[in-house]
Amino acid sequence: MKRLVYLVMSMVLLSSCEKEIDLKLKDKSGDIVIEGNITDLPGPYYVSVTRSVAFTETNEYPPVTGAEIIITDDFGQRDSLVYHANGLYKTNTLMGLYGHTYTLSVTVEGTTYTATCKMPQWVRLDSLKQDQIRFGTEVRYGVVPFYIDPPELGNYYRFIQFVNGRRDKGYYNFSDNTNNGMVNTRPLYASFEREEDEVKPGDKIELEMQCIDYAVYTYFNALAQIEGGGGTTTPANPPTNLSNGALGIFSAHTVQTGSIIIE
Amino acid sequence: MLIRKSIILLICTLLTGISLLAQQNITVSGTIKDDATGELLIGAVVRVNEVPSAGVVTNEYGFYSLTLPAGRYTLRVSYTGYKEQIQSIQLDQSKRVDWALVEDRKVLDEVIVRSVKKNRNITSAEMGTENLDMKTIAKLPVLFGEKDVLKSIQLLPGVKSNGEGGTGFSVRGGATDQNLILLDEAPVYNASHLLGFFSTFNSDALKDASIIKGNSPAQYGGRLSSVMDIKMKDGNKKDYTVTGGIGLIASRLAVEGPIQKDKSSFIISGRRTYADLFLKASEDYKDNKLYFYDLNAKANYQINKNNRVYLSGYFGRDVLGVGNTFGTNWGNTTATLRWNSILHRKLFSNTSLIYSNYKYQVQIQNNDNDFQINSHIRDWNLKQDFSYYTSYRHTVRFGFQSMHHTLMPSKFSGSLISSFPKTTRRSWENALYVNDDFKATDKLTIQYGLRLSAFTVLGGDRFNVYKNGELTDSVFLEKGKLGKTYLNLEPRISANYQLNDVSSVKLGYARNTQNLHLLSNSTSGNPTDQWIGSSYSVKPEIADQVSVGYSRNFDDDNYEINVETYYKALQNQIDFKNGADINFTPDVEGELLSGKGRAYGLELIAKKKSGKLTGWVSYTLSKTERKIDGINNNRWYNARQDKTHDLAVVGTYELNQKWTLSGLFVYSTGNAVTYPTGKYKINGQTVFQYSDRNADRMPAYHRMDLNATYEPAKKKRFHSSWSFGLYNVYGRQNAYIISFEDHPDDPTRTRAIQTALFRWVPNITYNFKF
Repeated sequence: MKRLVYLVMSMVLLSSCEKEIDLKLKDKSGDIVIEGNITDLPGPYYVSVTRSVAFTETNEYPPVTGAEIIITDDFGQRDSLVYHANGLYKTNTLMGLYGHTYTLSVTVEGTTYTATCKMPQWVRLDSLKQDQIRFGTEVRYGVVPFYIDPPELGNYYRFIQFVNGRRDKGYYNFSDNTNNGMVNTRPLYASFEREEDEVKPGDKIELEMQCIDYAVYTYFNALAQIEGGGGTTTPANPPTNLSNGALGIFSAHTVQTGSIIIE
Repeated sequence: MLIRKSIILLICTLLTGISLLAQQNITVSGTIKDDATGELLIGAVVRVNEVPSAGVVTNEYGFYSLTLPAGRYTLRVSYTGYKEQIQSIQLDQSKRVDWALVEDRKVLDEVIVRSVKKNRNITSAEMGTENLDMKTIAKLPVLFGEKDVLKSIQLLPGVKSNGEGGTGFSVRGGATDQNLILLDEAPVYNASHLLGFFSTFNSDALKDASIIKGNSPAQYGGRLSSVMDIKMKDGNKKDYTVTGGIGLIASRLAVEGPIQKDKSSFIISGRRTYADLFLKASEDYKDNKLYFYDLNAKANYQINKNNRVYLSGYFGRDVLGVGNTFGTNWGNTTATLRWNSILHRKLFSNTSLIYSNYKYQVQIQNNDNDFQINSHIRDWNLKQDFSYYTSYRHTVRFGFQSMHHTLMPSKFSGSLISSFPKTTRRSWENALYVNDDFKATDKLTIQYGLRLSAFTVLGGDRFNVYKNGELTDSVFLEKGKLGKTYLNLEPRISANYQLNDVSSVKLGYARNTQNLHLLSNSTSGNPTDQWIGSSYSVKPEIADQVSVGYSRNFDDDNYEINVETYYKALQNQIDFKNGADINFTPDVEGELLSGKGRAYGLELIAKKKSGKLTGWVSYTLSKTERKIDGINNNRWYNARQDKTHDLAVVGTYELNQKWTLSGLFVYSTGNAVTYPTGKYKINGQTVFQYSDRNADRMPAYHRMDLNATYEPAKKKRFHSSWSFGLYNVYGRQNAYIISFEDHPDDPTRTRAIQTALFRWVPNITYNFKF
């Protein structure tokens, strides 16, 4: 909808203008940020623990060292992570298997943050197909990931897209509540700030498909809603599966990749 | 017939407790209209020289009735912009006196006949009410030169704009959906075109508009904050006239005339924008569509002296399309059929059958895929209203209203969709009301009433019950079954005590309830915003408002000052959970939280009402907050529409017979918004951190507009005018949206970006009438 608003604005009101402004933003940063990913690919897996910084600072996030991190699952696995570098902690023996429910526990300066996530069943990524859409004289190129959604309701997917190795910043989160049990035909269209980065024939698109659980879907879906922040929607920290006010997400998901050259 | 009359009389007697001794008194009644066009005048005042406390105001259909002891009286009839008429009558038996008032075109050289009864603010019990004079609006500067009632009311105290150039407004801290907007009694669910830059009301077709800020009489109900009552013109009963206007963005044309001379008339009025014609000229956009149009039509037919029927309708559409790929359109349709009947010289009846439908459609067609979104809200509404004029002391209105709602939320269909869990819901809303306008003494006027409202959920769906956003229960209600019913009693009272000839104090209390709620997560108001009804989980919103006011007139009523202060307590207010998804979630009710609200403020307006220079200064100091479990640690926080200061200065200067200059200046505190308080990285991407909701402010908004109107001398019956305007004279870049992003050229930084609309928007409009 936001895009529609912008479209109308730019079509009718050629007089609209954008500029960078200096806002006196409050600084309530310094909070613990945890990001943990366990996949069905071979380990090791990493958990990062950092702190948030003020909006005006550079994008460098202070690593938290000395955290005590343990991951367990409902099949008796238990792994105590060791510090690697830049706030990253590494698993030793843990195996990522779908159907297992993993519990993360991170203790920093006496406070323990926990999260639980079940790695959902694996849905096969069948193939990628090129998609295109015409806006007047302009053609945009996208990709349709083909997969068959399982018959039971409640499957969630997340896609990460790279165009010629460049990460597309869009969030692509699919649920099956409108197309349960069907072959997916929803396309992904990358969007870049600069015109010259837009997808064109000859470009290579790489896609990572993740099967995620509902809590992870909710988290990334909320991030997609507040993308850009301020003004049109009421932004907030996305609801997370981490306890005790930690920012970030703990996700156990399956991973598949595919690529296609745009013609 | 006799039985019917006695039943009616009995009801009225019971209602008011007035004894039948009133039979000693004699009634004078009739209608008041414009002499030139036959248009019935609403709110014209009838006064009696011999009994200063006696006085009635014509109703929506120009009818009045006044009962006095037998005797000889001098009646005076006045109406804004018309010459006063005086007539002496001998009342020994009930009689009908109809009036035709003559428009007072120029009030330039200090008029001998006082044209307007200018101290209505001192004598009426109405509180928080503003009538908009269409003639004043016509000369004010406005964006794109399209005069617009919804933009003009934002210049009044207590009414705030929700966004640059937009028609969305907030009254006394209420949300946009808490305004009841009626067009010939039909509710209009989305009063905006082009995402809010124009309202759906084409001024050429309008006769009267008023806004009541929370103290509405009992015949109105269903929204918490205000009633915006807009009435369409009836059409000229004497002669055919054509009015029109050509502007840079849109053009208008209206034709009106008699069906039967002096008895019946019609009006048809249309408007269309042509921004899309400019798009066609550009190679990039030539396949795109972007326009809106409106059509207003109304006809009335006089069956006999005591009976008249009206049929009025509105149809409007916005169309937006990108080639064959994407198309969307939305709009309102309303239709009202009314039957006015003077059942008795003291009893006026109006029966209305009303239809209203707001819908939007989205279509996407690409390669082999097609996808549609359809949504509508449709009402059928039956209203019966009686006005009973017991004596000059009492005017009693009573009646009922029964409304059936069908709400289809955005429903997805097409080749990509196998199922969608949202279903159409139906509900039934009923109300009974009685209201008495009582002149207790020469000095004291009291308007009091009671409204009983009932909202019933109708079957055909599964209803989930949530507590603090967590699912606790689920109820399936079969089709055709009546489900949960919410009953609410809404007492309303306002009183005016006249301290002396030039000043008065007012006091009011009102309870309002609301059963339809708009879910909008944005400030601008999108066509896809959803309405939901009260349900098993969503409770009716309730507002209790107390207000106190003081009015004083100066210099022979040429200047006027009104001060009002209010406190409003709100229950069952709705806000969203953090990160709520209201578009794709199966049950949107699970994304909502509810709590209470409060709003209070002080409103000031000073007007200069006559002379070459007229205008007003309005200022509002206010606060509006919410307290909702699950948001900001259950503490009070600012509602999005909270604006501390709001100032408007409006002036019109008649330079000479041909030129009129006008200007306005507005200043307001920015909306309450949420800015990041930090940032971090997830999955290699920057994510902003937020703390309290609505704890920050958009920059203050201010702007000045100027306008000049040139009216050459009238040639025979051809009348024309030119209007030249400049919006945002000093070109301030007012922030419309502020967004946050990674710096595109420096990956180590993030930045804030402000989007501003409308710097120096000129307009030229040519209007004509013949």
